[in-house]
Amino acid sequence: MDRRSFLKATALAGALGAAGGMPAPALSQGAAARTLRFVPQANLANFDPIWGTQYVVRNAAALVWDTLYGFDDQLRPQRQMVESEQVSADGLTWDFRLRPGLKFHDGSTVTAKDVVASLTRWSARDSMGLMLKALQQELVAVDDRNFRWVLKKPYPKMLMALGKNNTPMAFIMPERLARTDPFTQINDYIGSGPMRFKRDEWIPGARSVFEKFADYVPRDEPSSWLAGGKRMGIDRIEWLVMPDPATASAALQNGEVDWWENPITDLVPQLRRNRNVRADIADPLGNIGSFRMNHTTTPFNNLKARQAVLAALSQEDYMRALVGDDDKMWKPLPGYFTPGTPLYTEEGGDILKGPRNMELAKRLLAESGYDGSPVPCIVAQDQPITKAQGDVTADLLKRIGFNVDFVATDWGTTGQRRAMKNPVGQGGWSMFHSWHSGADCINPGVYQAIRANGDGAWFGWPNIPAVETEVNNWFEAPDLEAEKAAIRRLNKAAIDNVVYAPTGFFLGYQAWRANVSGIVKGPLPFFWGVSKA
Amino acid sequence: MSSATVLAPAAVTRESVATAPPQPDILPAVKPKKGFIGFLRRNPTIAIGGGLLLLMVVIAVFAPLFWTVDPTALAPARRTREPSAMYWFGTDMLGRDVYSRVLYGARVSLIVGFSVALLSSVVGLAIGMVSGYIRLADSIIMRFMDGLMSIPSILLAIALMALTRGSVQNVVIAITIAEIPRVSRLVRGVVLSLREQPYVEAAVAAGTRTPRIIWRHILPNTLAPITVQATYICAAAMITEAILSFIGAGTPPIIPSWGNIMAEGRALWQVKPYIVFFPAIFLSITVLAVNLLGDGLRDALDPRMAKRL
Amino acid sequence: MFAYFVRRVLATIPVMAIVALFVFSLLYLAPGDPAAVIAGDQATPQDVERIRASLGLDRPYLIRFGEWFWNILNGDMGVSIFTNLPVTTMIKQRIEPTLSLMVLTLCLAVSIAVPMGVVAAWKQGTWVDRAVMGFAVLGFSVPVFVVGYVLAYVFALELDWLPVQGYTAFSSGFGPWLENLILPATALGMVYIALIARITRATMLEVLQQDYIRTARAKGAGQANILFLHALKNAAVPIVTVIGIGVALLIGGAVVTESVFAIPGLGRLTVDAILRRDYPVIQGVILLFSFVYVLVNLAIDLLYTLFDPRIRY
Repeated sequence: MDRRSFLKATALAGALGAAGGMPAPALSQGAAARTLRFVPQANLANFDPIWGTQYVVRNAAALVWDTLYGFDDQLRPQRQMVESEQVSADGLTWDFRLRPGLKFHDGSTVTAKDVVASLTRWSARDSMGLMLKALQQELVAVDDRNFRWVLKKPYPKMLMALGKNNTPMAFIMPERLARTDPFTQINDYIGSGPMRFKRDEWIPGARSVFEKFADYVPRDEPSSWLAGGKRMGIDRIEWLVMPDPATASAALQNGEVDWWENPITDLVPQLRRNRNVRADIADPLGNIGSFRMNHTTTPFNNLKARQAVLAALSQEDYMRALVGDDDKMWKPLPGYFTPGTPLYTEEGGDILKGPRNMELAKRLLAESGYDGSPVPCIVAQDQPITKAQGDVTADLLKRIGFNVDFVATDWGTTGQRRAMKNPVGQGGWSMFHSWHSGADCINPGVYQAIRANGDGAWFGWPNIPAVETEVNNWFEAPDLEAEKAAIRRLNKAAIDNVVYAPTGFFLGYQAWRANVSGIVKGPLPFFWGVSKA
Repeated sequence: MSSATVLAPAAVTRESVATAPPQPDILPAVKPKKGFIGFLRRNPTIAIGGGLLLLMVVIAVFAPLFWTVDPTALAPARRTREPSAMYWFGTDMLGRDVYSRVLYGARVSLIVGFSVALLSSVVGLAIGMVSGYIRLADSIIMRFMDGLMSIPSILLAIALMALTRGSVQNVVIAITIAEIPRVSRLVRGVVLSLREQPYVEAAVAAGTRTPRIIWRHILPNTLAPITVQATYICAAAMITEAILSFIGAGTPPIIPSWGNIMAEGRALWQVKPYIVFFPAIFLSITVLAVNLLGDGLRDALDPRMAKRL
Repeated sequence: MFAYFVRRVLATIPVMAIVALFVFSLLYLAPGDPAAVIAGDQATPQDVERIRASLGLDRPYLIRFGEWFWNILNGDMGVSIFTNLPVTTMIKQRIEPTLSLMVLTLCLAVSIAVPMGVVAAWKQGTWVDRAVMGFAVLGFSVPVFVVGYVLAYVFALELDWLPVQGYTAFSSGFGPWLENLILPATALGMVYIALIARITRATMLEVLQQDYIRTARAKGAGQANILFLHALKNAAVPIVTVIGIGVALLIGGAVVTESVFAIPGLGRLTVDAILRRDYPVIQGVILLFSFVYVLVNLAIDLLYTLFDPRIRY
């Protein structure tokens, strides 16, 4: 019995009981062991994973909704809701058959009509989905358990699109919900996943509660990330939002919460010293920091100015600012693709390697014809990752010789400002910071930030035909070797033209109580297989 | 300033002193010195408060001379070092020297405090005067002030900061707007009570023009309460700035202020408490000093103010 | 008296209207776009525009204000842009923790500060007086989150007497409810204690010099009797005034305290909403706070008649 329970039993409870208060209806030992209290990376303010594409929404949605396919820990799409699939010889017709026994939380059976409606809604918001939509000839439910997708051109990455973990995931919702316009929120959260969402206990911004769905039929295979059988070892999951990392740390040490998604690296040594807490890498795919430049405004519309940044940028500085003194938590990244994945390459990344060359940077800046006008850097203060990067950038740019206009703002305003295409001086911007989950940088299919098709690209609107050519080559590559070749050329073209400046590759920790078992590393927290002693 | 002109009418000060309970005889019999030193001797709170505040101002103004380095120079390789001979207050999570940041941080906190106090006093004085003197404007202005006062000042400041970008000027403006109602209420109260005084009525009857009445009779009597109130506002503004930075709606960290040093260090405070500890000490001492100064001034000028302030 | 009451209630209406106008205009002018945040990182500018349109954010100012105001009068605060829940629901969910915190803080502060001030006034000039007042000024001077952190560290982490964070509903038992709130209430109450102690002392000092106190003493009344029965009652008016004004302080401080102690209350709701530009929530909550403040001060005005029969309206 810990100190607090003892005190409770004697002093406090006695005194307060005498005052007329009822003791708390304590959860029985058994019940408490079946409840998992989790501290998520951010506030779960809304819960439509197609409408709101934040990571935290996707993570919660993965509990409530299921997908047709799911990535395993080797990033291969495996069947989940689908029992079998068949693609015609010409690659244009895909036939899918659903598993038997799939039910929604309201008791109704999952049918192909629900799938068709869900895929229609999803493909309106997802980049690979939009490609499919453009190629789509027909998407129909053949009968209750079979549906068919007919395309005008082959799309070999179909299963990857349906099974990827990048947001928005292709979650399957009941037809009536899926018919909601993709730009409007759904207002009911019924899915066919292993947990149901307890809407009546939801306090947005503070707490979300999930309860085990008794009628979920897991697959037979062992679970591996989003593939295999999702067997729940706990009956109830509570997501508790904690805005203050010091409070979350104390709560974990005290046993008031069981699992913390992303403790800051600096707090991990102290957590580890606690006998009851364990900590380990959260996601082997890590994250890539991003110094995003605006290719349409000064000064970064000039290639030499962009290259000046690359020449002087010290990834070590950025990474230390983000993850502290632990060298195991970061790697230099002379490229754009996630280390440890099949398409990783360092081709063309020499400018980012070796000792930093401030002289070269200053020379390149002078050659670019920079006139000394202010460079608006939009830095969100409420996201620790962007804030830390922003501080390092202000220092870096000043040393190179840029006239930094440091705009300290919040993530919401960043979102608005970065969408503006005005010139600098009329509300435009020159750079902002962001970061990408490593899982989003494994290939051009999911990697919107690497695209360089001008107006259609991500904010910054790089326009580099060489990069786009290689993207197309990758999509059409017949095998892995061809893919790798395309990616190597892509990497080089992207660095030569500086699509954006990668600030490094970094990992994060997760921490949990010693009596919790079954926690694995992955791109999102996986709750199946987790249990509490 | 002698009490006579400032605290007309009636020798109020002497009266309350005469009926005060006798002071215990703890000091040895010393002839009360005249002049400034004597004044400080008799009002230790002013001495302590003013002295500490002066120290902080000196630190802020002459920060470069106190063995500091560039407070914005970062060195991520040397982050979160404990206080040592090289880094007197340690380094923060970006490797910046906390000692230098705290000393330079005094500038922002003091500027915010003084500016808010000054601005809100001036604007509040003007509004209170108009409101107290001109019946017609009174109800409208006071309704508006009531409305403003009923919005919690922190929320008002956050909302105003969300309107604009983070900068010292905007923080000052946001906090000032939240503090103006208090000053204007105070001034209005003084003006209203003064208007009934015989000597003011006499002046009006004698045909003195309004601006002259305000300048000669009303204004001097508002100065004492306003000054005392201003010190409290200064203290409150410094704390509010710290809280705004804590929430993430304060001055940008490019310019260190005690508030944002603490805000940046809050996540680490269990493992590296010195990042929060040192600015907290400095802030508390400064705010304490300003509060003591205000108390001392209030007691020296007119102990009856204690009831209103 | 009744007429005064009615007049005061009516007077609150223009005040609230001004607050409403002010808050709405403020947010209308604010940069930062909830649609952009909602649309997420992968959205195109066209996506953002569509979301804006679906949220009704592209209509002109007067129309939006008029519609919102009319709805407020009918008790409908609108729907949150982010969570799609009615604002009134969101407020109802989170009002209990904040209310509990504020009430507990108030009770704690008054029950500590008033005796403090009385004692300080009674022992004016002695070390007791200086100590008490010194402590009070300190309470003013240390930022509330620092106090909160220290309390949490000492009492929750090190001594393990109390929980670090969270809130337990009153319906789950008085003990746990109190446990979760003691530390936050203490942290929040520091400033309040300082304020009330000071005003109590100052007022008591003046009251103690009055003739009727001397009479009571001459009649042989005991010290406690004098202090609490005679003096305090007469000192009550300014003290209660400060308590009323301090409610606004409490609300502001609650924002920070709720963040440090992870209490799911209105303060955090408001800050989150402001930083995300969730307009309906911001407008609704600030309006609510102002209303509470106005109500509390109205109640205090009426309370005056209890304390001081000379005050008649």
